[in-house]
Amino acid sequence: MMAKSYDAIIIGAGHNGLVCAAYLAKAGRKVLVLERRHLVGGAAVTEELHPGFKFSVCSYVVSLMRPQIIRDLELPKYGFDLLPLDCAFLPLPDGRSLARWNDYARTRQEISRFSKKDAEVYPEYGHVMMQMGRFSKPIIDDVPPDPTSMNPFEILKLLRLGKRFRELGEDNGIAALKLFTMSAVDFLNEWFESDVLKAPMSVSGIIGTFLGVRSPGTAYVLLHHYMGEIDGAFRSWGFCRGGNGAVSNAIAAAARHYGAEIRIEAPIARVLVKDGTAEGVVLENGEEIRARLVVSSLDPNRTFLRLVGKEHLDPEFATSIERFKLRGSSGKVNLALDRVPEFTCRPGDGPHLRGDIAICPSVDYLERAYDEAKYGDFSSRPYLNVVIPSLSDPSVAPPGKHVMSIFVQYAPYKLKEGPAAWPQKRDAFGDAVIDTLAEYCPTLKESILYRQVLSPWDLEQQFGLTEGNIFHGELSLEQLLFMRPVAKWARYRTPIRSLWICGSGSHPGGGVMGAPGQIAAREILKAGAV
Amino acid sequence: MKVDAVVIGAGHNGLTTAALLAKSGRKIVVVEKRDKVGGLCALEEFHPGFKVPGVHLDTSGVRRDVAESLDLARHGLAFVAEEPPVFAPASDGPGLLLHRDPAKADAEIRAHSARDAKRYVEFRAFIGRVRGFIARLLNEPPPDLNGTGAGELWDLARTAIALRRLGADDMLEIARIAPTCVADWLNGWFECELLKAALAGPSLHGTFMGPWSSGTTATSLLQECVASGGVRGGSAALVTALHAAARAAGVDVRLGSAVEHIDVAGGRVKGVTLASRETIECSIVASSCDPKRTLLDLVAATHLAPRFAMAMRNYRMRGTSAKVHLALRRPLEFRARPGQVFEIARTGETLDELERAFDPVKYRKFSSEPILEIRVPSISSPELAPAGQHVASILVNGAPAELEGGWTDARRDELGNAVVNALARYAPGVRESIVAREVLTPLDIEQRYGVTGGHIHHGEHALDQLVMRPAPQCARYATPIEGLYLCGSGSHPGGGVTCAPGALAAKTIIERPARP
Repeated sequence: MMAKSYDAIIIGAGHNGLVCAAYLAKAGRKVLVLERRHLVGGAAVTEELHPGFKFSVCSYVVSLMRPQIIRDLELPKYGFDLLPLDCAFLPLPDGRSLARWNDYARTRQEISRFSKKDAEVYPEYGHVMMQMGRFSKPIIDDVPPDPTSMNPFEILKLLRLGKRFRELGEDNGIAALKLFTMSAVDFLNEWFESDVLKAPMSVSGIIGTFLGVRSPGTAYVLLHHYMGEIDGAFRSWGFCRGGNGAVSNAIAAAARHYGAEIRIEAPIARVLVKDGTAEGVVLENGEEIRARLVVSSLDPNRTFLRLVGKEHLDPEFATSIERFKLRGSSGKVNLALDRVPEFTCRPGDGPHLRGDIAICPSVDYLERAYDEAKYGDFSSRPYLNVVIPSLSDPSVAPPGKHVMSIFVQYAPYKLKEGPAAWPQKRDAFGDAVIDTLAEYCPTLKESILYRQVLSPWDLEQQFGLTEGNIFHGELSLEQLLFMRPVAKWARYRTPIRSLWICGSGSHPGGGVMGAPGQIAAREILKAGAV
Repeated sequence: MKVDAVVIGAGHNGLTTAALLAKSGRKIVVVEKRDKVGGLCALEEFHPGFKVPGVHLDTSGVRRDVAESLDLARHGLAFVAEEPPVFAPASDGPGLLLHRDPAKADAEIRAHSARDAKRYVEFRAFIGRVRGFIARLLNEPPPDLNGTGAGELWDLARTAIALRRLGADDMLEIARIAPTCVADWLNGWFECELLKAALAGPSLHGTFMGPWSSGTTATSLLQECVASGGVRGGSAALVTALHAAARAAGVDVRLGSAVEHIDVAGGRVKGVTLASRETIECSIVASSCDPKRTLLDLVAATHLAPRFAMAMRNYRMRGTSAKVHLALRRPLEFRARPGQVFEIARTGETLDELERAFDPVKYRKFSSEPILEIRVPSISSPELAPAGQHVASILVNGAPAELEGGWTDARRDELGNAVVNALARYAPGVRESIVAREVLTPLDIEQRYGVTGGHIHHGEHALDQLVMRPAPQCARYATPIEGLYLCGSGSHPGGGVTCAPGALAAKTIIERPARP
């Protein structure tokens, strides 16, 4: 059956697909978004898993969402409301704890209980990282520079980058070089002596990657924490009121406002390719929909190897997509609780519970967690990042009750028994997470009303994230910038004419950022592709 | 006493710098703490009649142009065209005898995997294509990122042009693989674990990394791209020739002369003071000691800017290698290949085995199953052992300098036993054959050779400690102290036996602008 024709079909209604759709629609194009599930949002969804309890099932905080997208699409009009996180809380097994606040003076006081020297260096570190963040900002808001191109505009762009690099000054220039090459721990060792800073800070270098904190290249990701901005303030994190699904819903509402059509429960079987050109898509129910352009927000593996198919790809390109590293390394545990959890080291409710709570008492703890995963087991004592959004946003849980969202690493997609062993191991994995947290929070177990455990295998099954990789591909050096997802095809175009990509597998990568979707839309319009 | 320049340390780099400076007409004194030349390449008799040519045995990276410019052939140096093949023993089966030359390796690899034998030809072809670019990078002083002069920009441009000349495909391939881990890189090429482990082994020497650590592909590429043949008689023959060349050029090599400190006034070098309280006046000091020893121990802290001192303290020199020397009654024989002898053998049957040997190092323990790089130099240099007998020199990967609880005699023996056990797995007869053994822990290496952390490469090889080595402020051999230069393995292009840091430092000193 032939349906009516569109300018562009966007595959997947995740936040990047929706951002791309909204910008194309805003520019007057006729856009159709197709989503496999019954709701929009992809990995940024809110679901009522247990009556009255609304969970940000996958992604759970917002930091990197580009401010220009919020402005351009007028997202606050559609319910986008950020509640800033003020605290990073680290409970320790010996009963001590560290809370870092956005207020430096208060944080220094906390740190000085562990190390006077570190307390003094801490603001200086923040200052240097902030400058790095500013230096990198234009890089994440534009197509990546291409060092292999002989095009004078590209060379000019590189020279401009070089000039900006020099303007950083010698000390910051050195720090930038180190950031791009060192391990998170080695980088932090140069600044700090105390594990209570090094462990929770280094961990941001490994989120979503299958690397350890001592693995070179992880320092760069530390920067991601300083690139996030809310209302122009760098280094800010927040919850979205109503959960992360509210981010997606706001973008979807904006897209609809501009005329985009969004169809849910419309899984795609394949992209229609004829003579190297994408002509539309075929749904799983056999329906064919034609369009001048197809834009996929799925990960590169899914887009090219499943929806397009190897038979349409040049073998060299297919090989480079096959070796694009996805290997998921994290899982998620969502809990409904009948009370506010109580930590032995700081009993009672308090502002320290309104930010993110990290279970990573030492660098060696993190490294041991990684060692287990390297050989195909989930960590028996994993790194946990815990948030309780209902404390800041009561709308997501019944009165007096709470939702807890636990990000867990490491959970390797490829268990030594193979990924298919996850359904048998899921409960044991969930138990390891609860046991770990209960060591700091002894009443946790009795307060659990409902628990959901998502292994990387589940993330693949339920959310279509290949190998359960939350970033659509590791954020490791060789998969960034002009090499994301693969060299020569890092600018949203693909070797299939009229097929573009706009997901986290393209520059500048994962996180609830929207940048790939926006830049892809801009490039599509600039190229006059539609 | 007054000279033009003092070179600290008579290792292969110190001697190279000294000889090149003397050839340019300067009056040079080399001061060496030990009573022999050679540093980590010095010949050591560890048991009566049994000698090893130092800690470093791999001479495949020695720069031929340096040997030529010093006319080392006249002083007895000879190169061999090809390195001996590496034997990788396996618990069962015949193991793998790995040649660099794919034609010679073909049958051996084919016995494990026909696909890999084909891929190995392509692998070597890739190395051959990128070799020129990487060798260029290593043969020149590192680029000056903050330089604004036309000369510096020209240097950068030429490196960029060389990179572009590679062709976009190989260039992108280097950019893609350099930051990755050697395990991923080799898994992309091959299926045979034994082959992958044998190729990965050397990329871990002198690093604080396992094969799953990103950046190890870069260290592997560096090694593969400089290797060509070696020196007849090994590193000891190299230092003998360098010593002879230095003396012929008029260098005064003074043994048993430890430096107490480098004299600095007004930010300039004034000379050196020896432990004997003797001072030697000079306006140039080139130190082949490691950067930490040079700048943190030999120079008073008051002469360094705090930020620079911090950069030096942050330079990572966590030794992870130990050495075991065995005096053997009989040739070393592997169970898999009775009756055959191999000059180089390498244990580790899988990449994971290499990784597991590194794991304990992170927690300040040594591995009970260490990975061994075994060399039997007495095969090609029979003079190292009494007739018919042999020496085995084993580089042990997986022994941290900072051991929990510290290194003691008991721990040293424990490590020695672990090494012999690991070797006996493949060469069961070795135990009965041992006449004597010497175990050098990283602490022993530090104490004997004066290298911080017992680090045999004068600093870890890691992406951020290559090229900008040891730190951006002194990556081009000159330090912030006027007249003080670094000329050892702690400078670009790094450790191993290449003589390149020594030669590049000498070039920098010779070309330095006249003082105002």
